Amino acid sequence: MTITELQTQAPAVTASALYDALLHNTAPFILDVRNPDDFARWRIEGRTGLTVLNIPYYDFLEDEESAVARVSANREVLVVCAKEGSSQYVADLLRTHGVDAKYLEGGILSWGHLYDTRDIIVASWGRIVQVARPARGDVSFIVISDGAAAVIDPLRHTTPYLESVAAHGARLTHIFDTHVHADHISGGPALTRETGAPYYVHPYDAIHPIDMLPATIAYTALDDGQTYRVGQVELRMIWYPGHTLGQVNILAIAPDGSRYLFTGDGIFLRSFGRPDLGGKGEAWTPVLYESMTRRLPPHLDDATLILPSHFSTLDEADESGRVAAPWGIVRRTNASLAYLESEEAFRSFVLGNLPEFPPQYVEIKRVNIGLRTPSETEAEELELGKNVCALAQ
Amino acid sequence: MEQTYHQTLDVKGAKCPMPLVKSRKAISELPVGQVLRVVATDRGSVADFQGWVKAAKNVELVAQEVVQEAGQELYVHYLRRTA
Repeated sequence: MTITELQTQAPAVTASALYDALLHNTAPFILDVRNPDDFARWRIEGRTGLTVLNIPYYDFLEDEESAVARVSANREVLVVCAKEGSSQYVADLLRTHGVDAKYLEGGILSWGHLYDTRDIIVASWGRIVQVARPARGDVSFIVISDGAAAVIDPLRHTTPYLESVAAHGARLTHIFDTHVHADHISGGPALTRETGAPYYVHPYDAIHPIDMLPATIAYTALDDGQTYRVGQVELRMIWYPGHTLGQVNILAIAPDGSRYLFTGDGIFLRSFGRPDLGGKGEAWTPVLYESMTRRLPPHLDDATLILPSHFSTLDEADESGRVAAPWGIVRRTNASLAYLESEEAFRSFVLGNLPEFPPQYVEIKRVNIGLRTPSETEAEELELGKNVCALAQ
Repeated sequence: MEQTYHQTLDVKGAKCPMPLVKSRKAISELPVGQVLRVVATDRGSVADFQGWVKAAKNVELVAQEVVQEAGQELYVHYLRRTA
């Protein structure tokens, strides 16, 4: 058999079908056949209870019987590899042993590139759209009202935003980053180039915290207390330093009085943003404490919908894929907020629960303020895997 | 240093898993002690061959190199059959 004659028998599952199954906790058992190093770097993650097993495809070549024996025969299996080829190969082989095996179309690469667009709310004044990149746990938003649109924390690929704005007959008028991100390359500067809409960021974040070098990208400075209008919706900037020095939370107030808080890497549904990614965790921890206990609370009421820009586990998303909850729920269910009781408790909790600091995060901040321009391959490499912007839970 | 080898397997253009599937077959047909040179264009083959020889019972990865040829990168693997 030559390579071009290879024809797979196993059915394909698309990345978006996989995401739906993960959200509903109906995903099959996942068999990842990449090599163990690649598997250790990143993998498909779902809700608690998802089974993911790593058996490299070459194990099936070396000892087919014992590799197959490690796969449960009476369960549906989704085989995953880097690009697709090896998963087809293994899925076909498993099928000859009577296993109900399917493969992930486009491999884990297509899972990594999946953007998922859903409405958070649709109202007479307009709508809020959530655009997530599930493999990374990255979430961003579009506020649309009366033909105007503001995008908040856009991710690297701009097409999902342009498509959504166009689909609702709107024009992009504002692009906000709640802060200069460390875990992913912002789509903000690219959206500005493509649409001419201004890119807003706080000037404190336009200086690289470790290099101490100023941004070379075009941006418009936003400030604490400033408001912007997007159709009938008011967007209010609330300075919230700590995760970065220039982070803001953006409070959207609709004409019906409903309130939506885009917290960026501030408060997440189950954790909150870590203060050490600027390399100054000790110094920034009290600043973060001040933001969480004094700066933000006057703007919060129990009905305010919290819309963070990350999740750490898919358990934070509801079945419909929305990563959102009212403050009245978050303040009771986010266990990490209990440490706000005293500054000392907060300090020891924060400094004792800092996850590893991915070295590429320093470089990603350089990219985000224009100090470096990566190739597509480098950008892919920098953004590999899931974010670690939250404190450990 | 120039590597010595006894046979060459050209898997240029072949995508995963074929470089490894064909290498497995070729090495099984090689006399014990001889070295197979595999020329691939799939970048993923570098890590996969390293992982494979840890699982394989009778294969040793003697060397790996990246060579530029006509504007494309070639990933060359030298494998010895050990038993």
